[in-house]
Amino acid sequence: MKPVLVPTTDVNSDTGLLLTWHVGDRSQVEAGQIIAEIETSKAIFDVPAPETGFLLHAAREGAEVRLSDPVARLFADADALEAYTEQEQRLRAEAAESGPRATEPARRRAEELGVDLASVGGESLITVGMVEAAAAVATTATIELPDPLSGVTGLPRIALIGAGLGATQVIEILQAAESGTAVAIADDDASRWAAGVMGVPVVGGFERLVTLFGKDAFDAAIIAIGTSVSARARLREALAVNGIPLANAIDPTARVAADVRFGTGNIVCAFCHFGVGTVVGDNNFLSAYNSYDHHNRLGSNIATGPACTTSGVVELGDRVRLGTGIHIEPHVELGDDVQVASGSVIVASVPAGHTVKRRAVTTVVVPQR
Amino acid sequence: MIAARAIGDALRAALDEDNRVILLGEDLVDPYGGAFKVTRGLSTDFPGRVRSTPISEGTIAGLSAGLALSGYRPIAEIMFGDFLTLCFDQIVNHIAKYEAMYNGKVTCPVIIRTPSGGGRGYGPTHSQSLEKHFLGVPHLRVVAGSLVHDPGSVLCALLAQDSPALIIEHKLLYPLHLMLPASGRIGDDIAAEHVSPDGLPTVSIRPVPREDCSFTVLAYGYQAELARRVLSRLAVEEEIFGELVVPSQISPLDWEPIHDSVSVTRRLLVIEEGAEGFTWGSEVAAHISSHFFGELRCPVAAAASDPTVIPSSKALEAEMLMTSERVEQAIRKVAT
Repeated sequence: MKPVLVPTTDVNSDTGLLLTWHVGDRSQVEAGQIIAEIETSKAIFDVPAPETGFLLHAAREGAEVRLSDPVARLFADADALEAYTEQEQRLRAEAAESGPRATEPARRRAEELGVDLASVGGESLITVGMVEAAAAVATTATIELPDPLSGVTGLPRIALIGAGLGATQVIEILQAAESGTAVAIADDDASRWAAGVMGVPVVGGFERLVTLFGKDAFDAAIIAIGTSVSARARLREALAVNGIPLANAIDPTARVAADVRFGTGNIVCAFCHFGVGTVVGDNNFLSAYNSYDHHNRLGSNIATGPACTTSGVVELGDRVRLGTGIHIEPHVELGDDVQVASGSVIVASVPAGHTVKRRAVTTVVVPQR
Repeated sequence: MIAARAIGDALRAALDEDNRVILLGEDLVDPYGGAFKVTRGLSTDFPGRVRSTPISEGTIAGLSAGLALSGYRPIAEIMFGDFLTLCFDQIVNHIAKYEAMYNGKVTCPVIIRTPSGGGRGYGPTHSQSLEKHFLGVPHLRVVAGSLVHDPGSVLCALLAQDSPALIIEHKLLYPLHLMLPASGRIGDDIAAEHVSPDGLPTVSIRPVPREDCSFTVLAYGYQAELARRVLSRLAVEEEIFGELVVPSQISPLDWEPIHDSVSVTRRLLVIEEGAEGFTWGSEVAAHISSHFFGELRCPVAAAASDPTVIPSSKALEAEMLMTSERVEQAIRKVAT
């Protein structure tokens, strides 16, 4: 197939008017034969056939045609012309019934997970997230969810949220402190359902937890996620909406001085220290060897790495995220949502929403000689 | 309907509805009908009210000022935006000033339309986007035609005002079909239209809900169309989701729809075809940085053409003007 273009050097015109076809559609033409006339803003051009063959019109007489597009197509024989028109018709028909609109990553994911895109449907563009959500719903329908443990008489029954490594820490702290028994774990990742963490069953997603609380299957919850302060904050709100109280999990090796006040939902790992007069908010995940010296004030939904130490009268806002091994000088205030990189020494206050980066965190790995 | 035809229809409606409307410019009259055929047929249907002028852009602007002061509503066409420089004195020192200078006792509602921009191989003096020199001129509106705005309602809104306006029309848009928002969509995308108190629209286009978009692109005219195509492709092929905001009036700006988008995405890229440096983008960056200081996830990015002379060779032109490839590069940079 050879496209027939209008021979023009007129840069002023993008389009032209197809005045006349001198040769009928699907008829045979000789090389150089004038087949059509096109009028642009500057002149009327004759369009010659570039070679001998069978001609297929691409526009009607009187139509405005783009000069960059072919006005006709030439084929070596009538069979080639027929094959081309049939293929065009087939492609048009396929395009008309291409199904729901989805991103290419979503199409690939749907194939991996065996999800029918038509079932995800709706008006909007289907994304990977929507495909995975649909797959999760499909999975939940087939899994038989386990019941929570019955607990130990005299100890509060605790449900954990998050079946990751954070859950193992909390279960271990509760056992060591004898301050509660983990009876169930909820996780929105359906691939973790029906499994268990240290003998505690994963009973389903957040919705199941709400149902179980309604059936008096547990007394309070702890959010066992240490990596995302936004997830901690979101889940705490969701628990509050459903009237589910939070409980603390404080390791027995922690040293808590006089006049220290804790809110609820806090996880305090081994060997932490809270100096006199320190106030801790709600729903914080404080890793091992954290030391908050006297008269500190901690907000809520905070998560820290191990070995963070503060001097006296330090304030941490809500949703503060500390890395590992951070030292904070006296009277420093970290605003809400501040994030601090591991190994930092903070000597001045940081306003809300800011991130503290370290200029050089270097680990040089030297290969064996 | 293609943009050139829609603008022609808008002018036809204006001539039809208001006897004070007069069209003037070089070669407007039939059979030529203007260099880009926008006014084709109008001189035949409105004899005497569509006038071809001598080749003097200063005169066209001055004549328009006089007509406007005498109560007419002149709509002038400058054949190529490059020659706006010849109107600069009339526009800045006269047309835009009269109303304030005479304390509102006179008005000078001149509308000047002009094709601009490159991509056609027209060379150094017929390809430029000089609108940045008119941005921020007190009492002057600068409006840019885009495929997502109806030229009829924009012209109507401008004719309803007593202030002068300069309308920039990118030449590559003329043969393209308008894509107006309808029932909350443009094609496959979600679209929303915000109309300023003066009746000028800003259209926001996104492949997925705004909450799932990780950046905003602000652009007008042909660059908005390039950005729309790139964003649409990146959304489907790679799930890179950004919202495109297209204002019709580019100076002064209606900030509300821009704030609405940036307050959610917290990243902004501004694209324009004019030469980089002291640009629309720098003004937007200054405003947004000041308004959203501390909330942005990265500095406001601005993309513009290289600050040099536009070559006649299409290949060389494509190396220095904002093309689809450069728009995509800029978008990828802000998206990550």
